[in-house]
Amino acid sequence: MCKRYDRIIIGAGLYGLYSALYCGSRGESVLVLECDSSPFGRATYVNQARVHQGYHYPRSISTAVKSAGYFERFYKDFHFCINREFEKVYATSACYSWSNGGQFKKFCEAAGIPCEELRAEKFFKDGMCDGAFLTREYTYDAMILRDYYLDKTAQLKNITIKYGIEIATIENVQDAYLVRDTEGVEYRTGFLLNAAYAGANQILDLLGYEKFRIKYELCEIILCDVNDVLKNYGFTVMDGPFFSIMPFGKTGVHSLTSVTFTPHTTCYDDLPSFACQKDSRSDCTPGHLGNCNQCPAKPVSAFPYMANLARKYLRDEYVFHYKESLYSMKPILMSSEIDDSRPTVIRTYSTNPTCVSVLSGKINTVYDLDEVLNNG
Amino acid sequence: MDKKEKNFLSAVIYVHNAEAQIEKFLRMVKEVLEENFEHSEIICVNDDSRDRSVSVIRNVSAEAVTSSISILNMSYFHGLEMAMNAGVDLAIGDFVLEFDLPVSDFDRAEIMNVYYRALRGFDIVSASPERKEKLSSTFFYKVFDRFSEMTGKMSTERFRILSRRVINRISSMNKTVPYRKVVYAACGLKTDHIKYHAAGNMENHYDRKEKNYRFGLAVDTLILFTEMGYWFSLSMTLFMMLMSVIMIAYSVTVYIASHPVAGWTTTVLFLSVAFFGLFGILTIVIKYLQLLVDLVFKRKHYSFESIEKLTK
Repeated sequence: MCKRYDRIIIGAGLYGLYSALYCGSRGESVLVLECDSSPFGRATYVNQARVHQGYHYPRSISTAVKSAGYFERFYKDFHFCINREFEKVYATSACYSWSNGGQFKKFCEAAGIPCEELRAEKFFKDGMCDGAFLTREYTYDAMILRDYYLDKTAQLKNITIKYGIEIATIENVQDAYLVRDTEGVEYRTGFLLNAAYAGANQILDLLGYEKFRIKYELCEIILCDVNDVLKNYGFTVMDGPFFSIMPFGKTGVHSLTSVTFTPHTTCYDDLPSFACQKDSRSDCTPGHLGNCNQCPAKPVSAFPYMANLARKYLRDEYVFHYKESLYSMKPILMSSEIDDSRPTVIRTYSTNPTCVSVLSGKINTVYDLDEVLNNG
Repeated sequence: MDKKEKNFLSAVIYVHNAEAQIEKFLRMVKEVLEENFEHSEIICVNDDSRDRSVSVIRNVSAEAVTSSISILNMSYFHGLEMAMNAGVDLAIGDFVLEFDLPVSDFDRAEIMNVYYRALRGFDIVSASPERKEKLSSTFFYKVFDRFSEMTGKMSTERFRILSRRVINRISSMNKTVPYRKVVYAACGLKTDHIKYHAAGNMENHYDRKEKNYRFGLAVDTLILFTEMGYWFSLSMTLFMMLMSVIMIAYSVTVYIASHPVAGWTTTVLFLSVAFFGLFGILTIVIKYLQLLVDLVFKRKHYSFESIEKLTK
């Protein structure tokens, strides 16, 4: 007879471990199933590490207001992993931006987030940007956050995290979901949370439920060593084919990303199928994604392209050098193309037994889960 | 493996209903860039093509390995100058190649020739075919030379290379660039021209829209960048003023010498003085307009629909 848990959570990223700790602290028995050998190995770690306050969404005030609301709370809860010791500059490009400096300022006022106008020529080459603004935005350090969660969950006997688990089947059997891994081990639960992010549709495929309408992007985040002038700044030229270079948590390096060159390849299918999968020498298939960051078939770095883009804008005194690249798969909701919003989507597929899927592209909207975890 | 150039090169190609030529041309540019540069990009500026140009570009871009190819779709027909400005604004390269026409009457080695020439210290190097210009072009450049400060600097150019320095300078100098060649020539950095032997005959590839556009551009350029309009009106005014003075003298003579019909002298005198004043006012108005033209440049310059990244 297999063991029955109050909650089974698929995916040991931030959303998964947050839920585990949330439920575990209430005394519920929780099982987290993770296919990698450690937590926070994918999107939670491989991203810009931005704690969003909404600046990023000048065309979606709803996303902005929501991010701003969670910003304070996230900082309060996780201040130990947050880097706020830098000046964050947002700028609007003179060409090709979907918003200009004036519009950005107005938007910040409407969203109620701090924004102080700076002289664009101080940071950017002449004529490249029509507005630069000092904002308040932090970055988090995923590795410190991971250690915090490992520590907290280890203190609770009722939370189990299993690594290296690949799920083979999931069945709805009367009052429970029966999860069977590829080794044949079975787990039972009345509440299944799918927090697999890029793998979310693959889990839904096993369940036979309606999948998220998403596209997949194989993304590259570049870590850079920077000089002292750049060290205390984070720059984002936003809303268009631009770039961002900002501190990567507390690691001392900066992350460099660009809208055009960070995504290497895109897949519009329900399940991720990429040409590189056949060379991955692991079990990466449309049915189960491997970890791009550890894959031998990862793409050649786009650093020269991103660097040239950044240097086209930034004044020459801001110097950065390539250190390493991180890769991960990023699912993007198809509905958010026009306004560039990033809503958190939480779908409940069944109750008793309950099955919930979550998909969110932002770290500090993790609190969106509270409601569904309380009800379940 | 020989060493490839470390500089990042961007190529901007103007595409307007060019399904017949773009495949061969794009492939040629892509091959030259990939053979010679470690990193490069190609931006195809699609200026409202109504034919299969876009799908042809998509097909060719699938062959690209290191070069990043994208299409910049303009919202409506902008014409060569604005469309190319849009493309150059998007480019991120250390050097940017501008191809005004996707037609290769030059040897592929010429592309690298202009690049090497640029490395020797020229911010702008242009390449033009060594052949007799069209009659209309000859006339245009003659008039331009006659009435502008920049003598002998302009001719029909097939493509050119720009350094990042010159692009930065131009973007901080001008809000809009109505005619690139003039602005490049006037930017004050070192420029050079290369002449090549044109292979084959250049047929006329312009469609009706482009022909109208080119004619309009020629007229605009002469008005904007030369003093032609002002000189014409000034000389006309002086001539007409002289005529008025002669008329006044004549009517006074007639009044004294013979006896014209009552009222004739008054009418002619009045008309002459009125015309004299009118022409004076017109010249001043035209001078004002000339000055205002500069201010008009400050408007938002182009509108693009989308940017599609096809590779990399």
